[in-house]
Amino acid sequence: MKKNGVGGRSLIGLCLLFLYLPIFLLIFFSFNAGDSSAVWKGFSLHWYAELFRNRLVIEGLATTLLVSLLATAISTVAGTFAAIGIYNLTKKWRDPILVVNDLPMMNADIVTGVSLCLFFVAFFHGWGSIAAWLNSWQSLIRFPTRLTLGLGTLLIAHVSFNIPYVILNVSPRLRQMDRNLVEAAQDLGCTWFQAFYKVILPEIKPGIVSGALIAFTMSVDDFVISYFTAGSSTQTLSMVIYGMTKKRVTPVVNAVSTLMFLAVLVVLVINNIRSARQAQLAAKRASFEPVPESPRVQRIKEWAATPKGRLTRRIVAGVLCAAFVTVTVFLTAFTTSRPVVNVCSWGEYIDEDLIDEFEEQTGIRVNYQTAESNEALYSLLSNGGADYDVVVPSDYMISQLIEEGMLEELDYSQIPNFEKISDRFKNLPYDPENKYTVPYTWGTVGIIYNESLVDEEIHSWSALYDDKYAGQVLLINNSRDAFGIALKYLGYSMNTTDEGEIRQAYELVRDAYERGIFQGKVMDEVFQTMEGGNASFATYYAGDYLSMLENNEDLRFVVPDEGSNWFVDAMCVLKDAPNYENALKWINFIASTDSNLRNMDYIWYASPNEEALELYPQWYEEQYGEELDPEIYSIMAAPQEVLDRCEMYVCLPKATRALYNELWIRLGI
Amino acid sequence: MKNKRSLFAVPYVIWMALFVVIPIIIMLVYSLTVTVDTAQGEVLQGSLSNFTGMTLYASVFGRSFWLALVATLICLALGYPAAYLMSREGEGFKRVAMALIMLPMWMNFLLRTYSWMAILENNGLLNQLLRKLGIIALYNRLTGSDIEYFQMIRTPGAVVLGMVYNYLPFMILPIYTVLTKLDPKLIEAAQDLGANSATVFRRVTLPLSVSGIVSGVTMVFVPSVSTFAISRLLGGGTQMMLGDLIENQFLGGAYNPHLGAAISMVMMVIVVICMLVMNHFGDGEGEAVML
Repeated sequence: MKKNGVGGRSLIGLCLLFLYLPIFLLIFFSFNAGDSSAVWKGFSLHWYAELFRNRLVIEGLATTLLVSLLATAISTVAGTFAAIGIYNLTKKWRDPILVVNDLPMMNADIVTGVSLCLFFVAFFHGWGSIAAWLNSWQSLIRFPTRLTLGLGTLLIAHVSFNIPYVILNVSPRLRQMDRNLVEAAQDLGCTWFQAFYKVILPEIKPGIVSGALIAFTMSVDDFVISYFTAGSSTQTLSMVIYGMTKKRVTPVVNAVSTLMFLAVLVVLVINNIRSARQAQLAAKRASFEPVPESPRVQRIKEWAATPKGRLTRRIVAGVLCAAFVTVTVFLTAFTTSRPVVNVCSWGEYIDEDLIDEFEEQTGIRVNYQTAESNEALYSLLSNGGADYDVVVPSDYMISQLIEEGMLEELDYSQIPNFEKISDRFKNLPYDPENKYTVPYTWGTVGIIYNESLVDEEIHSWSALYDDKYAGQVLLINNSRDAFGIALKYLGYSMNTTDEGEIRQAYELVRDAYERGIFQGKVMDEVFQTMEGGNASFATYYAGDYLSMLENNEDLRFVVPDEGSNWFVDAMCVLKDAPNYENALKWINFIASTDSNLRNMDYIWYASPNEEALELYPQWYEEQYGEELDPEIYSIMAAPQEVLDRCEMYVCLPKATRALYNELWIRLGI
Repeated sequence: MKNKRSLFAVPYVIWMALFVVIPIIIMLVYSLTVTVDTAQGEVLQGSLSNFTGMTLYASVFGRSFWLALVATLICLALGYPAAYLMSREGEGFKRVAMALIMLPMWMNFLLRTYSWMAILENNGLLNQLLRKLGIIALYNRLTGSDIEYFQMIRTPGAVVLGMVYNYLPFMILPIYTVLTKLDPKLIEAAQDLGANSATVFRRVTLPLSVSGIVSGVTMVFVPSVSTFAISRLLGGGTQMMLGDLIENQFLGGAYNPHLGAAISMVMMVIVVICMLVMNHFGDGEGEAVML
């Protein structure tokens, strides 16, 4: 056949370039001294060292490897036997089974994920009473009455979508095999299993290997199905990365990926060299030239046939198996061990050293997860799949959770640090008798703008709806804030339940949307977009503004004259939390003055701890040897005259919430 | 004797029934019910309102299928020639090229997509490059406009690019597999009978590679139409797709699993119909051929 000319090869080259360009960038920026994925600040191996300290990434990697290895092992064995079973079925049975086998592959990942999620949740609902009944008439095994999504469900999901790939790869090999071979072996006195081992297995081995490889690749690369079935306390690497892409992806992830990429590259290269050799050998054999095996290979083969050689072979195989089991056990132990407390908070909302310190002090492992918004947190909780102990919702969401009976009362005798919380932040409307909450932070919402892109000083929300700034505004991606700001701009209360007023606010946003004012809807993506100077305006929280200021000095923050929202985020414990005592310990630890000071310094949100709030400027000076800019302090801890023009959200009645939801979805489509 | 081995299929059949068929049935049940507040608390009630209310989302359905279709066609236009050219190369080249095409799948797809964000941002690498090369200034002079960057991210084009980028290997691999298995004697025979290379391609190669095209198209179209991560990252929330809509109902802001299940059902049915139509063109051997 004709070979390709230069043109053909360069087309293949272009395709490959397209595939590899972003990957080279990723690898390139894993050696960046700075933490941006767009600005080069010099060569450094810093992120590779950092890799071993980053718990989220390491745990995510461990979970991914554990689940992928187990799922591949199980589905390869199960799939091979299933393929043999299907092969032996009559056509009447085989065809419908093969249709079902195709389902997970034909179906969109999201449908598979969603249906499994619904199935597990429905099963868990029913399980409580089944377990209670089982426990009531036998005492041999205590069945847990409460199950949640986690490693187990993740594994089941992965096995389910892997098996079909194994079957698809093994079946054609079985069909190509001569059926008489097995019968011949059996006629010669083999049992079926001997025949399987000596005849079938070698025949279908290439199919099994490629099936296992595909299964493993699919498992490692999967995100969507894991996202819906892993629940809250287990995160695969993909899920960790997804969480990060919303904010700033730490180059640690680039480093992990680079290492994985190199590992696979090495395997592929070795495999390639091997198969190239085999092909050469086969070609020589085909030309009838007797190919003498090299004396070394011959000697090894002879040795392997001696009893001693056979023993060694078995020992090596045993050691490999043992290594696999050990790695699995180790990974399991790593991912599920020690007393825990499951915390769900917001992205970049804690000084992570505090987590390590708490673990050292108490020996309790902190499983720290983040949700995207109050509404997303509510979805997670209503889904029933989440097994958090401590959550940190905002004011209005807290009253909604209390109203729906989802929170547990706190035993304040075990939280001595509650005393340090300023009286301003106790008994607030969302928790009038303060039975459920310990405040975590407070702050205001305002406009963040880039001074170098805007040539006027901003005082009003009107800038967000102004044609002058078309394509330059980032709309906040949650209905409560987006409509609340519009309501405020129109001169209404943010807590109105008047349908006409809310619709008016919707029209305002919708109109601006259609005029192309908004560049996009963002939550935590706002960091990279604003820091990189990719948009002029955003609405976000004061504390986060101060974080952005560290990376881009052109940014300004203002609480507009029309007024805005001020909020309190508070720690609460969920009803029936599995680790109630540990949860209280965690809350007490976080409420301490020292934790509050360090948190404030790290996340720039104001603390409700009176002592910490007053001490902070002085503490800052001691830490950094320079005075804290009073303007920064007043943005962080807004003075009373600013708070006077702000409103706190209250929980809206159900009908209003439904209206918000409906209008919000309408806006997006 | 032989058929006793068919018992090996039993555990598998039970497993698939439990974790593939039943979940879909549960999803169907969810889609046909709504929760209603009553004096006894929330109860389930049969209702078709999830489906009737879906007309509201017609534009999302339209956008999803349209963008996925465009992405699939671009993948085909790029992937077929690449696969065709690869299959005509020598063994060594083939092996290396195959490995190179498989390899990116080992880099997390979210990370690869995120990398595109850094490239496409208004102030991103590509715009910086264009500015340095003077292309933006040139464009301004030619059109009399005054722009500092090309808006690339948060547009439908960016989403399509993300899909093509992520799923192109799924198009190349099955087509390539089919083409390499194609018997060269058929082509020689056609040539001997006087066909020129265009005719050989049109009458022999192309018809024989249809099964690869069918499975390639399936493997690109289905994940494209249901993606939510790509539209989220590269579309910036402005290009809502079916995946976003569904995700929103389960884990996002608008909690309504019944509606989410209904949308999933409709999407599944449409996709299955598309696939059946596609397979009708294929020769029934609709196996997802990879490797």
